[in-house]
Amino acid sequence: MYGWHGRLLRINLTTQTTSIEDIDPQVCRDFIGGRGVAMYYLSKEVDPTVDPLAPENKMIFAAGPLTATPAPTGNRYMVVTKSPLTGAVAHSNSGGEFPTWMKRTGFDLFIFEGRAESPMYLLVNEDQVELRPAGHLWGKDTHETTDLLKAEHSDEARVACIGPAGENLALMAAIINDKHRAAARSGVGAVMGSKNLKAVVALGTKNPPLHDAEGMRSLSVDTSKNVGADVKKGSNMRTYGTSYVPAVTNTLGIFPTYNFQQGTFEHTDKIDGEALKNQYLIRPTPCYRCPLSCGRLTEVPDGPYKGKGEGPEYETISSLGSGCGVSDLAALIKANYLCNEYGMDTIGTGMTIAAAMELYEKGYVPEDVVGMSLKFGDHDAMIAMIRKMAYREGFGDDLAQGSYRLCEKYGHPEIAVTTRKQEFPGYDPRGSQGMGLLYATSNKGASHMEGDVAYEEVFGVPVKENPLTTEGKAELVKHFEDSFALIDSAGLCVFVALRYVFSKERKIWPERLTEMMNLTTGIGYTPEEIMKSAERIYNIERMFLLKAGSTEDTLPYRMLHEPLPDGPAAGRVVELDKMLPEFYQLRGWDAQGWPTKEKLAELGL
Amino acid sequence: MKITVKLLANYKDLLPPGSVGNTIEIEVPRGTTVAEAVSRFEVPLDDSSVIVLNGLTVDLNTPVSEGDTVAAFSAIAGG
Repeated sequence: MYGWHGRLLRINLTTQTTSIEDIDPQVCRDFIGGRGVAMYYLSKEVDPTVDPLAPENKMIFAAGPLTATPAPTGNRYMVVTKSPLTGAVAHSNSGGEFPTWMKRTGFDLFIFEGRAESPMYLLVNEDQVELRPAGHLWGKDTHETTDLLKAEHSDEARVACIGPAGENLALMAAIINDKHRAAARSGVGAVMGSKNLKAVVALGTKNPPLHDAEGMRSLSVDTSKNVGADVKKGSNMRTYGTSYVPAVTNTLGIFPTYNFQQGTFEHTDKIDGEALKNQYLIRPTPCYRCPLSCGRLTEVPDGPYKGKGEGPEYETISSLGSGCGVSDLAALIKANYLCNEYGMDTIGTGMTIAAAMELYEKGYVPEDVVGMSLKFGDHDAMIAMIRKMAYREGFGDDLAQGSYRLCEKYGHPEIAVTTRKQEFPGYDPRGSQGMGLLYATSNKGASHMEGDVAYEEVFGVPVKENPLTTEGKAELVKHFEDSFALIDSAGLCVFVALRYVFSKERKIWPERLTEMMNLTTGIGYTPEEIMKSAERIYNIERMFLLKAGSTEDTLPYRMLHEPLPDGPAAGRVVELDKMLPEFYQLRGWDAQGWPTKEKLAELGL
Repeated sequence: MKITVKLLANYKDLLPPGSVGNTIEIEVPRGTTVAEAVSRFEVPLDDSSVIVLNGLTVDLNTPVSEGDTVAAFSAIAGG
């Protein structure tokens, strides 16, 4: 096989045994790789009704066929499992360097099953595979853990690990790789913690064989040059990373503010990209093989929030900033660093604290329960809550369950802004209707990474869509969901993929991506065939979550019944009922959202 | 009449030297369109820009009114 190694590593933590298996080439072809092949195995091997934190759940690390190839951003991996936050599928995606190092061990997938009796970590140095005791690492944060493991093994090793939040099974726990990158969402870190698995150390030099190495190199260089030309002209992504986005979403009135009680934030200019660049940015930091370099190495040089690290990117500014009403950028940066060190999803963490602030301000949770005042804008209280969540101390134990369970416990579930119990990212869908349909239908609960039609509704890439209309959005959302399933499965980053390896029509089309896949694998896909594989992946996930009992595609109360009070989208709610029936029809699903027998047969499921 | 032009992120550099922040207030004749308003600052009018009137997607030939805000930013992947 080319592109894929065609081998997976199975790690049984209960029996402390490992084994190597071949992956059926037809499965690779039909499910592409990464998210898709991992989902194939999860569906085959895990009962969808399993308790996500029980040993019977499995957790899969998966690289794509383009991971560790010359493709620009060919450096992503996915963590696929049943989510303890949503009860649906989790497919959390990360870059950095670890994904390429993982692929260079000579395996496409690591499948973790069971639960170790005591903390362990996994070392994979090509065919040297060892489960080792991790008692000395347990309790350490992700930075300490990474440093200790690199010191024990090699500076050439790359590490993915959990911090205290994952150990303590907080439902917003992430898996952090290379200290600053996160497979963040859906509580994948809690699943890793439930297995008593502290870390994975990857070492190796086994790049996958390529079908046409020279052709792939040439196409990759050409693609990188296109990115480079835009960067030279002054790309926002290089200059600001995604921290330029608050100015955009605030202008459109969809910048989540005070737990989505507003769509504009009066202090946006204090926390946006310009402020970050002028005050705290050291330099842009790229993931491996990325010509764009959207990462931000930052430093708060002195004061109570002194520190150095990476971030914040847009979603963090939205959740821990405007979401919580916080306008102190240094404090926001510190909060970001803490999330990375404790191993937490900044979206889930920030929006859960935002929900708690609303509960507190409305008098639904008393101060003696919280242990302190918790008003919007109180950045010190926000920082205190992050630690309490990670360690599940006091009120932090409630927060560690995420905003839905928190608000339900205190009698006001209408305050939680979630779908499938997962917190919304940074686009208020009342002013971005397609995003509303996306959040409602997403297999992993509310997520922009499931099919980010904000590219068209907000950013004009590749074409500008009116964000306030519902016409045509069902088709757009379906197409973006499938396209993102393809990108995640191939092993690329959406930032470069959407703009540079898809065609530039409204219905983006994977022309160059198909070419890359063919040069890499030698399969001879057509774009139609590869999009059919993406649809297959989307539907196999859909069947898993329906069987798991996550059958309702809806939005939280606020999005359907509380019109935005301010900004250009004032007066609007999400008109979900105008989009959902058409979406089901286009998907080939019945009126209740179940894939029909005909659709499943068409996809070979 | 007076309108406000906001040029976000890297488009801020298209504002005249000495401008503060990303916003400028300008005097325009009645009948000025959205496209004409941002053209003064050499904002590209093709699909490399996103241009909105009071935060709303409009035809670029829409005339502006007293007190309006026209904002523009370069079309690029999001966050």
